[in-house]
Formats: sequence, C-alpha cells, structure tokens
Amino acid sequence: MKNRAWWFLIPSLAVMSLSAFIPLMTVINYAQYTVFPGSAPQFVGMENFVEVFQDSVFIGSLGRQVLFSFEVLLIEIPLGLGIALALPKKGKWVGWSLVLLGVPLLIPWNVVGIIWRVFTRSDLGAVPKIFQWLGYGGYNAASNPGDAWWTVVTMDVWHWTPLVVLLCYAGIQAIPEEFYRAAKIDGASAWAKFRYVTLPKLKHALILAVLLRFMDSFKIYAEPFQLTGGGPGNSTTFLSIYTSRKAIGGFNMGMGAAISIVYFFLVILLSWLLYTIMLNVGGGSSK
Amino acid sequence: MSKIELRNITHIYESGGEKTQAVKDVNLTLEEGTSNALIGPSGCGKTTLLNIISGLLTPTEGKVLIDGEDVTELPPQDRDVAQVFQFPVVYDSMDVYGNLAFPLRNRDVPKEEIKERVQETAELLGLVDKLHDNPGNFGPEWSQLVSLGRGIIRHDTTALLFDEPMTDVDPGRKLTLRRRISQAQQRLKVTSLYVTHDQHEALTFADKAAVMNQGQIVQYGSPEKLYEQPVSTFVGNFIGSPGMNFIDCVATDSKLKVGSFEIPISDEIKDLLDPSWTSLQVGIRPYQIDIADEQREDKPISTTVTLTEHLGSYRIITLKLPEIDKEIKAEVPLDEQVEVGDEKFIGLNQENIRLFHEGQAIENGGE
Repeated sequence: MKNRAWWFLIPSLAVMSLSAFIPLMTVINYAQYTVFPGSAPQFVGMENFVEVFQDSVFIGSLGRQVLFSFEVLLIEIPLGLGIALALPKKGKWVGWSLVLLGVPLLIPWNVVGIIWRVFTRSDLGAVPKIFQWLGYGGYNAASNPGDAWWTVVTMDVWHWTPLVVLLCYAGIQAIPEEFYRAAKIDGASAWAKFRYVTLPKLKHALILAVLLRFMDSFKIYAEPFQLTGGGPGNSTTFLSIYTSRKAIGGFNMGMGAAISIVYFFLVILLSWLLYTIMLNVGGGSSK
Repeated sequence: MSKIELRNITHIYESGGEKTQAVKDVNLTLEEGTSNALIGPSGCGKTTLLNIISGLLTPTEGKVLIDGEDVTELPPQDRDVAQVFQFPVVYDSMDVYGNLAFPLRNRDVPKEEIKERVQETAELLGLVDKLHDNPGNFGPEWSQLVSLGRGIIRHDTTALLFDEPMTDVDPGRKLTLRRRISQAQQRLKVTSLYVTHDQHEALTFADKAAVMNQGQIVQYGSPEKLYEQPVSTFVGNFIGSPGMNFIDCVATDSKLKVGSFEIPISDEIKDLLDPSWTSLQVGIRPYQIDIADEQREDKPISTTVTLTEHLGSYRIITLKLPEIDKEIKAEVPLDEQVEVGDEKFIGLNQENIRLFHEGQAIENGGE
C-alpha cells in the first residue's frame, strides 16, 4: 500500500468487522436455512424470502411502518423547525429553553413506553381523563386501534421533536447575521427572508434531521411494545415487533434473519431516496 | 443621488450593563454624487457609522438626513440605501439573475421591467455570462459584484455603502474588483461611502476621505490633503506607509532644538508658537528625508542605519538618532549605498516639516 493513511484505518475496520460485518454475514447465512433451536439447520435457499413477502402480517407491518414514519416526519420536522425559529437567539433564556427541550431526549425508550402506558391507563391515567373533559369519553389505547396508533405517534413526537429542534436551532445560529441585514436592505418580507435565507441555509440540518428521524422511527420498537405489545390486534405491530416475534417468539431463526435483511435494505433504500430527493430540492449550495 | 448628512451622531452599545461608546458626536456631510472613504484602525467605529447611515442601527443621539429629510427612524428598506458587506452575501438558493431581481421582486416591480434592469445591471458589472450560474460557487470577488448589483439595480438608490468589501478577496483580484466598483460608481453617480482600514484602497477609490479614530472623525479631506497636511500625529502616522516620522524637539527663540542640533524656523511659524509650549514634535514624511554621507550645514544630524528594507522600486531605511534615542524611517532610491551600521547625516528642511503640539498640528494660517 502506497498510502500510509490506510494503516490508520485498521483499528476502526477491525471494530467494524466485529460489530457489523461478521454479524451481518451470519444473518445472511441464516436466512438461507430453516433454523430452529435444537434441530439441524436445513438449507432452503431463497424460500424464506419468498415466504416473508407472502406473509400478510409482514406486508401489513411494512405498510404501517412506512405510514408511521411519514406521519411522524410530517409532524416532527415542521414542528421542530417552528419551535427552533421561535426560540430566543440569545439571552439568559436560551440555556433554560434548551435544557427543558432536551429532557425527553435523556429518557430511555423503554421508560418512555412505561411512562405513557401509565399515562394512558383507562383506570388511572391522565390522558383518558383529559379526553373525557374534552368530550371524548371512549379513549382506550388498549382496545381501540385508532387510539393506540395516535398514542404511539404522540409518544414519538413528544420524545423526538426536541432533537429536530436542537438540530435546526444549531443550524439557525450558524447563519451569519449579514444575510438578514442584506435581506433587510433588499426589502425582503419576513416570508422572503425565511424562504430565501433561513430555509436554504438549513437544508443540511434538515436533511440530517429527516434522515435521523426516519431511520429511528422506522426501527421503532420499545414504545409500542411497552404500550400495547403491538396491539390491539396488529394495529401497532411495526416491522421490528414483527421481526422479533418471528425470530424470538416463534424460534424461527432463518425466517427472522430473512426479515432482518429485507428490513436492512429497506432502511438503506428509503434513506437514500429521502437524501437524494432532499439534496436536489431547491438546488444550490449542496456541493 | 443624494446628499447625506450626519448631525451630532453618537452611538452607545449596551451589553450586560456595560456601555461602550462607539461613535462620539460625529458630523459629516457627503455631497451628492461624490465618492467618499471612511478609514481608521479596527474598532474605531467605522462600521457602526455605516450601519447608522443604512438604517441597520438607530443612533443613540443625533440625526441622519438624506436630501435634507430626517430619516433617523426609518428602516433600511425605506431609505433605499445599498450596502455591500465585508462578508459577501449572495443568496445561493437563487441564480445570479434571481439575486439581482430579488430587491425588485420584493418591491413588486413588473416582470418585464425586472428583466430589463437585470440585463442593464449585469452589463454594467460584467455579469452577463454568469446570469444563470449559482453564485454559491463564486469566489468572493464575484460574490461582491452580485451583492453590489443587488444594491444598484434599484433606480432610486440614494447611497452606496461598502463595508470593507475587499477583506476576503484575493490580492490579485482586488484591482479588478476595485475598478469595476469605481466604474459603476462613476457611471451611476451615486453618493458612496467606502469603509476600509486599508488606506491604499480608500485613497484610490475616493474623492474625499474621512479618517476616524476612537469614535470620532479626526479629518475629512482629499487624499492629498490628508497626506500633506495631517491635522494630528494620528492622521500623519495612519496615512502613508510607513507613516510620518515624529521627532521630539524643544522650541527656543528662533530655533527648534532636536537634541543638540538646531533647526532654524521662519518668522511665520514662530508667530504660531505659543511661548509656553516647550515640547513640540516635528513631523516629516519618509520621502522628504535626504541622507548624506558627510555632515553638511543643511544636514547636521548624525544618525546610524539600523535596518534596511527593500520595497521593490525603493528602499525604506531605519535611522537611529542616538542622542534622543529615536528611530525614524526614510525612503531612499535603490542606487543609494546604505548598509546597516553606516553613519548618515540628515537635515530637517523647514519647508518639509510640519509641527505638532500635544498631537495636534500647528496650522500655518488655515488652508
């Protein structure tokens, strides 16, 4: 090797291969076998994959997963951007606002699920009580699919919008004041300033926020699992819950591996799609 | 094309209970269609003053008049002032055309007229073949032209303000940009003010320059006047590279004494001297110092060369006056034989010197 720099990559490559490459290879291997604990693996080729795509529960979970991620993005990105724009730019309130906003981010997924399970319990939770006051007495996350769905969406919005806020806020703070001065002199309205200065300058922060939120929401597990275990029925069964049910609940390792691979490529494909679309929207400074 | 007047402008910044006076009681009139420069060391209040003219800042005290009309409380967009910033501002979400059209679109100018004016402005600034490029990929010199274009595309531009526009520009490109700026200024005859700490930039661009120091304008005049007749040691030192030399001296009856050397002074100058002033300063430009190898009547002062610097077509040498422990700079032609350690003799010809008392010039009868 001519370039000595390659040698410095060896430690991180070693870690990467242990943590990602080797397990991935194992999973790819598993996916081609029927594997149940206690019996000899049987080679089945692509059969597991065919079965995955023929399983209506998988298709349902995938549909729900995509819908969920897009709903969550549609709410969290504009909301986060709006909050970031409304935050004070300097002064003593900056620190307090950021700390308060950051609190949900510090709470582990599991705990968020438990908090909301308590919150929404029909016997002692605050959420059903509030809905009752508002005139919707029938709220019940455990038995009503619509309620369960929107509760999971709300949990995710509550948990992760602050991340979008922090990313956008950092982006806004990095825009040089001169742009706003120039826009003022050019006679730009508040909307024109947002459209031609703030939004284009936040492009990269927004791409990052969308990708992070997409990938994370696409892998959601703990919140619906803690709230209703994926129910009622399959109404909050997302891909991760479906996968673990197959692999761990049903001891069908080969099948689980096949789903994981499909899942993995879906995340990569959709992330790439989002990234490409966003990068080309509005043209300009992406180079 | 407008006349801009600043009346008793004072500006105080307040942050965390601490007050900083950035501009102190400034009065300045920029005549219609003239090109002006504002120069001074960093932190002297130049940019503050500029932002007060454009309306980005409202002064703590004083008034800004444009064509006699008080605009002190008007926001920038209603003053029709154009400003080019130190940091080049281009909207990289639009192409050059969109950038130039932006101020017009914000004012709801009809499409056809926008097209015409963009073309006109692009021609003036040499941007025609770049109209559909993204300025986000431009170097600072082109960005500054786009930025200038946005300013001058409005026909009603009252003034053009530049805030150190060359800071980020490559030295090699500065000349081109400066020429284009001057051309545009001359064609449009817009009253302009160019802020810089680089005197070369200021003096080549402007008909008149104001020198600022510690929040005040210390002198406003033509480049020649600033160079030949500085009103204070600050201006003398700031204008010129290297600046004016100042040598402490003592005034006696009809002579100035520099150490043990004596310089005769004319009656005219003598009349201006207050008898109570004992300590004065003689100011002399480096190019006005002639050196000689031997002591002569007109070059009585002995000095030692401590440094020589080659500056292309001439040399700057540093001379030490051992008696008063003072170093001065002199400009000498390249063919003059000078080595460090040589003893050279200089004179202070009274026609070339300017006298200062406590930093202020002793004016010989006004203008």
